[in-house]
Amino acid sequence: MAVDITLLFRASVKTVKTRNKALGVAVGGGVDGSRDELFRRSPRPKGDFSSRAREVISHIGKLRDFLLEHRKDYINAYSHTMSEYGRMTDTERDQIDQDAQIFMRTCSEAIQQLRTEAHKEIHSQQVKEHRTAVLDFIEDYLKRVCKLYSEQRAIRVKRVVDKKRLSKLEPEPNTKTRESTSSEKVSQSPSKDSEENPATEERPEKILAETQPELGTWGDGKGEDELSPEEIQMFEQENQRLIGEMNSLFDEVRQIEGRVVEISRLQEIFTEKVLQQEAEIDSIHQLVVGATENIKEGNEDIREAIKNNAGFRVWILFFLVMCSFSLLFLDWYDS
Amino acid sequence: AAAAAATAAAAASIRERQTVALKRMLNFNVPHIKNSTGEPVWKVLIYDRFGQDIISPLLSVKELRDMGITLHLLLHSDRDPIPDVPAVYFVMPTEENIDRMCQDLRNQLYESYYLNFISAISRSKLEDIANAALAASAVTQVAKVFDQYLNFITLEDDMFVLCNQNKELVSYRAINRPDITDTEMETVMDTIVDSLFCFFVTLGAVPIIRCSRGTAAEMVAVKLDKKLRENLRDARNSLFTGDTLGAGQFSFQRPLLVLVDRNIDLATPLHHTWTYQALVHDVLDFHLNRVNLEESSGVENSPAGARPKRKNKKSYDLTPVDKFWQKHKGSPFPEVAESVQQELESYRAQEDEVKRLKSIMGLEGEDEGAISMLSDNTAKLTSAVSSLPELLEKKRLIDLHTNVATAVLEHIKARKLDVYFEYEEKIMSKTTLDKSLLDIISDPDAGTPEDKMRLFLIYYISTQQAPSEADLEQYKKALTDAGCNLNPLQYIKQWKAFTKMASAPASYGSTTTKPMGLLSRVMNTGSQFVMEGVKNLVLKQQNLPVTRILDNLMEMKSNPETDDYRYFDPKMLRGNDSSVPRNKNPFQEAIVFVVGGGNYIEYQNLVDYIKGKQGKHILYGCSELFNATQFIKQLSQLGQK
Repeated sequence: MAVDITLLFRASVKTVKTRNKALGVAVGGGVDGSRDELFRRSPRPKGDFSSRAREVISHIGKLRDFLLEHRKDYINAYSHTMSEYGRMTDTERDQIDQDAQIFMRTCSEAIQQLRTEAHKEIHSQQVKEHRTAVLDFIEDYLKRVCKLYSEQRAIRVKRVVDKKRLSKLEPEPNTKTRESTSSEKVSQSPSKDSEENPATEERPEKILAETQPELGTWGDGKGEDELSPEEIQMFEQENQRLIGEMNSLFDEVRQIEGRVVEISRLQEIFTEKVLQQEAEIDSIHQLVVGATENIKEGNEDIREAIKNNAGFRVWILFFLVMCSFSLLFLDWYDS
Repeated sequence: AAAAAATAAAAASIRERQTVALKRMLNFNVPHIKNSTGEPVWKVLIYDRFGQDIISPLLSVKELRDMGITLHLLLHSDRDPIPDVPAVYFVMPTEENIDRMCQDLRNQLYESYYLNFISAISRSKLEDIANAALAASAVTQVAKVFDQYLNFITLEDDMFVLCNQNKELVSYRAINRPDITDTEMETVMDTIVDSLFCFFVTLGAVPIIRCSRGTAAEMVAVKLDKKLRENLRDARNSLFTGDTLGAGQFSFQRPLLVLVDRNIDLATPLHHTWTYQALVHDVLDFHLNRVNLEESSGVENSPAGARPKRKNKKSYDLTPVDKFWQKHKGSPFPEVAESVQQELESYRAQEDEVKRLKSIMGLEGEDEGAISMLSDNTAKLTSAVSSLPELLEKKRLIDLHTNVATAVLEHIKARKLDVYFEYEEKIMSKTTLDKSLLDIISDPDAGTPEDKMRLFLIYYISTQQAPSEADLEQYKKALTDAGCNLNPLQYIKQWKAFTKMASAPASYGSTTTKPMGLLSRVMNTGSQFVMEGVKNLVLKQQNLPVTRILDNLMEMKSNPETDDYRYFDPKMLRGNDSSVPRNKNPFQEAIVFVVGGGNYIEYQNLVDYIKGKQGKHILYGCSELFNATQFIKQLSQLGQK
């Protein structure tokens, strides 16, 4: 267990101080200073870098607070059906989306700017390392906040999709009323509540069952002339067929939607990975360029070496020939 | 609720406790809370070598990063001033460290200072710092000063060593030197006791201490008892009363500390071993959970001996996160080799699965039915994508263990360690030997001179009556012919003469190792690790002397070996050996501490022992952790004198 001895330290500071006073030792700056002056913060130039870094952090913090504050309203996509409780319209949500995105972009730009500036000034290695790490921290923080945002956005999108799926099943007149309600919510909301809430919970078969009588009333309104029972039967059969078709279509659509959601999730993962790999690919590219250069140089060197080698061979040959000639000459001279 | 708290405390291992304490310190001594959207803070960490040794087995660089550490620097290195950043110091309160810290204060290196001392700082040193802070008018910048009481190194969940930096100070040699003065002995004991005290503060429990009479362990016990007593007496400042710690304090059970002197068992540290962790420690450079391998990078590949062999140094961390290591560090080596093979196969299977998926996607992409295939595969793909990092991590671990195991295997083959192991086991269990000792010693192919010396020392230690002078001369001659230094033998001779007077040599329990049957060997030949020529030995459970002592003391068994062990209870007001009412219940938790150096063989043996007991815990500690090579070196230094 750690033991806090800060108080002990403060006490020993005091003893040292009184002792120094008693002995009359001059301690730089602290000797004439009162207690306040002693414990006053020594004036230090606040570094430009860290204050700016803190600024960026506080910006990101604001964004986070903003997102968390509106999280509940934002996510609750059904809210406009229950107008008393809902406080946020779709346009407001879009506004939030837009603002958040702009904000994130500015933040990341600020970080980027800080990064370039931090490296531009000439510093010692350690300071540089420190700053890089700090910037990494900030970036990580921004990423976490962004994740918060993207999560709630994903939830929103999903809810909207769910809602649309349900509304598609509803009969025509209802969707019409729904369109009108979205523009003027207040007046119709109670009646809509009663209609939509069961619709969200019940199975599609039931809803279909509801639609049938309405189709029947259409038929009534359309033609005055009586339909024969055969015709009615035929129509009914056709209706059944159509409904079956619709059902299967609907199922397919739902499956496709699920897949699309999954694909989008994958897409997200891939984007992340691709972004991660970007830096790596860059460095690989650099390396490859360097390697190509090296290979070129190597080729040059080899060519040079070959040339030299050839020259050397010629000289050797020449030397040998000269040797043999001189031998011949000596031989001739001797004899 | 108290019971629940007690069990929770028991469950938290010493490793976790120390890690929590470290994290807390890094977080400016405020309990660390994991928060996904917390604002980032940054600080630099300044440590000395002691601090480095404590932190490095517990926290990785990545974890430090997560804690907001941008830079971690040694105290005595050149450090550039970094304004606007708080600095966390984690150092021993030694003279030179204090001087350096004062210098930092004067130079205004950082914005604020959080000073943490590994063990308690003395008042005068604190005043030195205060003086320097005053002179630099930086008193307010010293934000916090803490005594951390963390002066020990935790290597495993249930294993710790005292120190690594100045381990010569507390080595076996330092304790057993014949020419040691009383003051030197005092310093050695004080160092050990200080670390042990830190350990119990971190553990948050006051132990009941048992130790043998008339050994260095007894001195440690007396001093530790005194120190704990002094601390407990001052109830206001006691380190054992806070409510954050010491659920162990209120629980019914208190741990038992068994202080053992190395001299009771000298054969075990010399023994050749057969379990993975101990082998790694014995034959490779294994140090604070990090193994350094020297790989001669492909002699075959290098062009016709044109260049000298390039040595490639690699170091691997063997951490508790490594599941394979956790599972197999105590297994016999052949089993490990087999498991590495199995892991490799399972990994390949997974990789193939991913590849297959990829090929399906690629092929099917052209058809009209691609979309349906695609959507069928999306779920699979998702799982594959999410499992990829895991797979990569697994691959890294497998590579690591393949390399380590291959290196170990090379050593085993080169030195015929399997033969030594089997033979030594037979000597220690006093079964009949099928081959004379002299043959092995004079066999030029088998092992290094050091291995031969170890073998002979074990034989010498564990025989009941010493071999006759003539025999001994013969052995000595054979050993010198094999190139051995006879100094260790000198010391062991003295030691044996001494202990014979004191007590009968400990027997090593009867065990046998059997070469595996022919059938199973045929089964194993499929293994990629070519274990040919290496016997597939199976270990049988045996208890080493240390384990037996612990067993006796923990279960309150009566045994002539341990009955006269001294008993200390720091909580009793008056400490008197005979009058103290003893705790008669068996203990649930015990700490074995070997004064004068321990090893992984004993640790493994204790772990195996406690596995069979329900609800009991054992911690193993030692003043230093040495392998046989280091131990032989110390013995030969002792023998020279």
